[in-house]
Amino acid sequence: MNNQLKKIIFRWESVLVLLLVIEVIVFGIINPKFLQISVLLGSINDFIPICIIALFVTFVMITGGIDIQAGSIVGLTSIFIGLLWKDLGVNIWVAAALSLVVGGLCGALSGFFVGFVGVQPMVITLGGQFLFSGLAIVITKLSATESYKGISGFPQSFTDFSKGHMAGIPNQVVVFGVLIILSYLLLHRTKYGRSVFLCGVNRNAAEYSGIKTSLIIMSTYILTGISASVAGVLMTGYLGTAKADFGKELTLPIITAVVLGGTSNTGGKGGVVGTALATIAVGTMRFGLSMSGMNTQYLDMPVGILLVLAVAVRTIKDNPKILQYFSVRKRSN
Amino acid sequence: MDKIKHLLKAREITSLLIVVFVFLLVGLVNPSFLQISNILLCLNGGVVYTIVAIGSAFVILTGEIDISVGATLGLSAAVAGSMIRDGKSWGAAILAAVVIGAFVGIVNGIGVTVFRIPSIIMTLGINGIVRGMSYVYTNGKWVENVQFEFKALAQATLPGGMTYFYFSALVLAVVIFFLLTKTKKGRYFAAVGDNVDGATLIGIPVGRIKMFAYIICGIMSAVAGLLYVSRVGFVTPTAGSGYEMKAIAACVLGGISLSGGKGSVIGATIGAITMASISRILVFLQFSSDYDNTITGVLLITIVVADVLLERHRKEKARRIRLSVKTADYTLGGNAHE
Repeated sequence: MNNQLKKIIFRWESVLVLLLVIEVIVFGIINPKFLQISVLLGSINDFIPICIIALFVTFVMITGGIDIQAGSIVGLTSIFIGLLWKDLGVNIWVAAALSLVVGGLCGALSGFFVGFVGVQPMVITLGGQFLFSGLAIVITKLSATESYKGISGFPQSFTDFSKGHMAGIPNQVVVFGVLIILSYLLLHRTKYGRSVFLCGVNRNAAEYSGIKTSLIIMSTYILTGISASVAGVLMTGYLGTAKADFGKELTLPIITAVVLGGTSNTGGKGGVVGTALATIAVGTMRFGLSMSGMNTQYLDMPVGILLVLAVAVRTIKDNPKILQYFSVRKRSN
Repeated sequence: MDKIKHLLKAREITSLLIVVFVFLLVGLVNPSFLQISNILLCLNGGVVYTIVAIGSAFVILTGEIDISVGATLGLSAAVAGSMIRDGKSWGAAILAAVVIGAFVGIVNGIGVTVFRIPSIIMTLGINGIVRGMSYVYTNGKWVENVQFEFKALAQATLPGGMTYFYFSALVLAVVIFFLLTKTKKGRYFAAVGDNVDGATLIGIPVGRIKMFAYIICGIMSAVAGLLYVSRVGFVTPTAGSGYEMKAIAACVLGGISLSGGKGSVIGATIGAITMASISRILVFLQFSSDYDNTITGVLLITIVVADVLLERHRKEKARRIRLSVKTADYTLGGNAHE
């Protein structure tokens, strides 16, 4: 029993929960408004795209890969919906559904090259980042609307979906919750999830045990692509405009969230619960700091410090030899 | 003859051939593209990319990665730019920029070599911190009204039309190339990237080499920041964001492998030219430069996929030859290969 308790306390996820609690208390003391549930839930709306995409980038990173193209798929999705709806007169919901297919295809392209051809994930998704953000700009030019304005004037039902509430909880949070459960079940409770882990631990062993590793790896990129499209749909509805440069700055926060959530970038370790907690912790920190009067442009700094510190602590914990290195140094001096 | 063959096999040559091929192709469509003055414009315009890419090449050669270069460029540009604007001496401004670059490099290096933080995460965190610092320093305002004399530096050209900046960048690239390939210490970088354990076993100070690579990368980004101030003339708080990805892309286009150990700074220079020329090429083909990113993406994906496939083909061929030699030995009844 004691051992089990220790196991729970020393889990990385518990550290994140603790961090979250500390954040809420500290920011609550600085600015009591922060503690209102509606304010807290409302703040999530601003960083929900990061939360949603990070859940599935976790899959990619567990297979030992990395996905830096997801942010550009958000913009592509957004402008794609706008173009279909405004210039081609397609029903908005059909457009949204089609955009998920586009996101999946984008993911499949990179996934194919990583899984079947064996190109480094970092390079191929870097190429994808250029390609998809470029395509988004090209698509914008096809539209009759001036690109800098973005396409707007979407039907009420579409924008309401992102802005609306369900029993007091913002719809976006509901979507996030559903996706957490889905991805949790998929990653931690199915055979597919086990194969994803095994691909990251030892791809050869996985291949020999009959897992089609190329397909599994490709599928993780497809999932990420689709999730990026979901984020794009929500973002378009929430902001009421479709623009090509949505999601441009999401890449780094997404990777930050996944890594902070305890997923190792060498693969084989991690989980969606950690990622979900980390996205909320980072988002709450940014929101809390800006509510406490910090300039929003400075917010990258504390997040960067948090990331480096957290990972340093974790690597030292896994690798106590590093501390020995210091003590040896001192003695020799 | 052997030397020529060896040269043709070099990875940089492939990249160079691609650039030449693309330039010739564009020249066929629009001959004015091949005018010396235009090619020089392409080169001169790529000087900031070139310097950043050379710095990144050091880190990538050792098998690590640095995505804090854009932020470092921005911060050093802001600091140096504002010092020059306020009439401080140029020497002090340059020194400040270099110190900033070196400091960021040292912090990255400590994180990666001492604390063993995966390099992409360490430099990602530092990227956020340094970017935040340049907001704090500039208070979110633009650095404008940089002294005219400093801006004129970027326009000064050698007889022939090449700017001093680009010429120095080329000389630097060639010098570094020879330092890295011909000297013992220089070859350590590629050795560390190629096989860390092997390098450790033969006594190469792996940590120190990686640290050194990060410091050089930081200093190079700072120098690029100085060139940026001189060329552009003003510094926004977001100056240099996106350069980290473009520098990595330039390295990859130039034949440097992200798993380390393969490629050279000459490759990075060629890659940087490619990256910088794409938008110009589009204009000459009468496309809108909106296709810039799309073409970069397609080019990048094509080149790396082709590279992997060629490598696989080469390995397969070598394996076949080995196998056939072995079977020939066995059919002769001897084990001559031993």
